[in-house]
Amino acid sequence: MDVVIIIFTGLIGFYMAWTIGANDVANSMASAVGSQSLSIKKAIILAGICEFSGAVLVGSSVTETIRKGIVDPNMLAALPALREGEAAALLIIGMTAALLCAAFWLHFATWVGMPVSTTHAIVGAVAGFGVVAAGWNSVNWHKMGQIVASWFISPLVGGILAFSLFKFISTFILGREKPAEAAKTYAPPIVFFVVFVNTLATIYKGLNHIISGLTWLTGTTSIIISVVLGLICSVIAKIWISRHLRGKETLSIAKQLEEVEKIFVPLVIVSSCSVAFAHGANDVANAIGPFAAIVDIIKHGTVQMKVGVPLPILFMGGAGIVFGLATFGYKVMATVGTKITEITPSRGVAADIAASVTVLICSRLSLPVSTTHTLVGAIMGIGLARGHGGINKSVAKKIFASWLITVPAAAFLAIIFFVIGRYLFLDSIIDIVLAARR
Amino acid sequence: MAIITNLFKKSPFGPIVEHAKKVHECLEMIKPLMEALIYENYELIHELQNKVSKLEYEADLIKHQIREDLPRRFFLPVDREELDGFLECQEKMADYAQDFAIILRIRQTKLHPHVQDKFFDLVDQMFQVSGSLLTAAVEIKNLAEASFGGAEARQVLSLIKGLGEEEWKADKLARSLSIDIYKLEGKIGTIDIIFYEKMLLKIGAIANEAENAGDFLRAMIVK
Repeated sequence: MDVVIIIFTGLIGFYMAWTIGANDVANSMASAVGSQSLSIKKAIILAGICEFSGAVLVGSSVTETIRKGIVDPNMLAALPALREGEAAALLIIGMTAALLCAAFWLHFATWVGMPVSTTHAIVGAVAGFGVVAAGWNSVNWHKMGQIVASWFISPLVGGILAFSLFKFISTFILGREKPAEAAKTYAPPIVFFVVFVNTLATIYKGLNHIISGLTWLTGTTSIIISVVLGLICSVIAKIWISRHLRGKETLSIAKQLEEVEKIFVPLVIVSSCSVAFAHGANDVANAIGPFAAIVDIIKHGTVQMKVGVPLPILFMGGAGIVFGLATFGYKVMATVGTKITEITPSRGVAADIAASVTVLICSRLSLPVSTTHTLVGAIMGIGLARGHGGINKSVAKKIFASWLITVPAAAFLAIIFFVIGRYLFLDSIIDIVLAARR
Repeated sequence: MAIITNLFKKSPFGPIVEHAKKVHECLEMIKPLMEALIYENYELIHELQNKVSKLEYEADLIKHQIREDLPRRFFLPVDREELDGFLECQEKMADYAQDFAIILRIRQTKLHPHVQDKFFDLVDQMFQVSGSLLTAAVEIKNLAEASFGGAEARQVLSLIKGLGEEEWKADKLARSLSIDIYKLEGKIGTIDIIFYEKMLLKIGAIANEAENAGDFLRAMIVK
């Protein structure tokens, strides 16, 4: 019976990961595909690799937050008049309900064309379960407030970062008398920044759960490694750019701008990959966090304070995302590639860097944010810096509306699923929990 | 569906360049029209007038497409009102070129040798203005690429700077041509004089609108 539950919830987690891969991943590669820097086929392959490695390498820290941060399991265990093992059983049912509800809500929202976030859905669902199972106070509203605030802040920070980055690019490269000359000086620092941030996010506290015993690879050491790697890459970039732009300084400004955009092509591919990487790191937790909790409870029969996410589960989440990308996401990617032809590589780089930095930092702070919404904020920021031909303002309104709707809707759905689940399965799950204790 | 696809809208700057080029094609018909007038080849005038009307219609289509692709909810790198004003001026230029062709078409007017040279001078001067404007306008796509700043913007702004002076020269020429036309009073028919004046006003108006379009372009860049 316990195997049945693990398979059942595992399938729901996989379904959730599939939804993420099918709908969300294409957004993260939008800059590279839209600027025609990458063919759709290559974009899918690269996105798959980056999402998967992001999920496995950086994924774990957010996973714990969703389970532990929002609802306090101790409050559940401390409820009066509980049977033996009931608290653990309730948690299993609740997490299953949350997963199921988030996946359904996402599917529904995608169907009606609402830009909802996986992250927001799962947070709302877990909170809804907490309120019904253990009362209003079991939800850590302080943490919840932080998370909700981060949804407002992350697009804003993404926007401000993108605005500044693009201003930097347009002032120091595109706006110069000789853009081709300026690119030789000012493009390598951008390369450094991209490499530095991504390396740091990967190894700072990161690789430990993959390869144990890498204690030296933390803190200051990881910063030094990132700086060195960034420097090496920027030197290589400098050599490559100088070679590519040699003799182009005498062309007309318009022609030079064209050539400089070509310099940004490899960079936009790398930066789009880093968005996909950050997306994998941030969003995989939505699918596998609750599942990891369930597996842990069934294994031990008790609700532990802290649950590490086993590597196989991270692999499963990553695989689900890749599977969603391969089965359905390629269609979305193709639409992105044909519909967004107005983005240029220089804009793409600025938006991507801003979005991935913001998301990676938030992931590290254990704040689950929406990658896509952050990217939208970044693109808007570039629009404010007069970088885009035309931006549809109504998308921002839609996103805002989705913030207001998703949490209550997901919470409500989770409550329904939870109540039904508790009515039907509570007794048999308590048996499983007790069996596990023996 | 990926939200990002709804976020991006077609940039209007490519079509704006196209529109400016089309408008200038209308203007380019003015010289052949004048030449046909001197040779009193009214059949050719008829033909050319049809051609201008067709070009003007095509310019209109491009303009409508631009407007259609830009609902108010779009967030543009330039001021919306100034963009509209710029298009409006361009449209008027094409309209006036068409009016000019119609003026020649509706009556078999003969151009008196005393005013011929100055008429051609005025047309040339008008082309000075509209030509500089075109050179500036076709840069608008590159301007967007450079986010309306830096060296590219300075280059375009300096082009526009010259427009005012060129237009002033056109005004001066028009005034002196006007005087010459009224000197012909009594020597030619009154209706002829009325038609000369009509032609002159249209050409002057084109130069004037070209300058206005330049002003809007400047405002778009400076924002």
